[in-house]
Amino acid sequence: MSSRWYPIYQRGNPQLRVFLPNFWMKLIRPAEEQPPNVVTFSVSMEMTKYDVRNYLEKIYKLPVVDVRTRIALGDTKRDQTYGYVTKKDDVKLAYVTLPKEESFVFPEMFAEKAEKQAKEEKSLDESKEGFKRFLDRNKKRPGTPGWFSI
Amino acid sequence: MSSTLIKCFNLAKTVRAATVKGFLTSPQQQWQAWSAAALQTPHAQLHTSPARRDLMEFFDDKKHWSENEVKVGRAWRTDELRIKSNKELHQLWFVLLKERNMLMTMEHECNDKMEIFPNPERVDKVKISMENLETVVRERNKAYHLLETGETGERPQKAVKNAFGLQVNYKMCEHVLPPFMNLKWIKSRNIGFGGRAVNRFLLKYREQLYNAKRKAKNRSRNEVMMILRRNPNFDLDVLRRKFPDVNVDKLRNEDKARGHYVPKVDV
Repeated sequence: MSSRWYPIYQRGNPQLRVFLPNFWMKLIRPAEEQPPNVVTFSVSMEMTKYDVRNYLEKIYKLPVVDVRTRIALGDTKRDQTYGYVTKKDDVKLAYVTLPKEESFVFPEMFAEKAEKQAKEEKSLDESKEGFKRFLDRNKKRPGTPGWFSI
Repeated sequence: MSSTLIKCFNLAKTVRAATVKGFLTSPQQQWQAWSAAALQTPHAQLHTSPARRDLMEFFDDKKHWSENEVKVGRAWRTDELRIKSNKELHQLWFVLLKERNMLMTMEHECNDKMEIFPNPERVDKVKISMENLETVVRERNKAYHLLETGETGERPQKAVKNAFGLQVNYKMCEHVLPPFMNLKWIKSRNIGFGGRAVNRFLLKYREQLYNAKRKAKNRSRNEVMMILRRNPNFDLDVLRRKFPDVNVDKLRNEDKARGHYVPKVDV
């Protein structure tokens, strides 16, 4: 039996249980400024408000006060050469309100990256310089080992 | 170099925390280490990495944020999943689900900030693991249904003809109304296809298929004859193997298979 094949729901029946949900949720940086207790998610297109609430409460054990969803239209773009129009997929966004005392700030993940990269490049340059100096020093006596020096 | 060492050390620590001999052979990914640790009920008294219960679960470990490379193990295989209990599989599914959400979140943010997402194959590994897990669950479902009801319990399918008269696989589903009461469905079947136009279409469609087949046959036949013409001593067994639908022995005596030279006659 496929795990994605459910019997039809009729009124009065028990609610259908999903044992292996395959919904996904992405936490994304909000496009507009939001109150500190509102988190923006990009979710599977099939998810409803109730699904989003259950997902966060049951799987992530997060307290959820309110969920609002909307479907954001994908951007259209006209091709520069041939003029045909391409469109990106629509996405469903969920705005989840947490309790008043909670606050979430989207983290800056690449703040240290530039610094780190500069440091790595610097050390690489230094070692390159060192090797060059070594080569220059041993130019007149090829084949001599590195330790054979004054 | 030093960061790799630290990573190895961390990995070793996690594996030691899990203290599973069998697990050493299975994937050494961190999330899998967590999952395995979570699955070890007899070893529950052992301390494992604490479960984070907040929105930071949607993000990768802080130390991986500015890394260019995040090393992980391989995906779960079906053989490894088959020896797990249903409960363990159910728990692992949610671990994988969370991991996938985390990776998708990180990928989205990287794309937004024009950064390179380190090791994107992690997403594929999670996907493969989830597919394998679902396969195993499906196998068990099938076995259970066969035992209890004598049927597989899979979604029933049947071959039906579509509006163009071509055969398609129809996946059946449950309906609220039985067919004789479902007037909308009955009306939808009376729109009148299956007549002259469909027959003409099918005739031409089948002609196309037949022509493609015929041309392919002729092509291989000609190819065999040309090979025999240019190389009179060619190994016939090789030809027979390579062109199984061509009668090589018959073609040998064809006029086209004879070269432009005087055949050597043994005196």
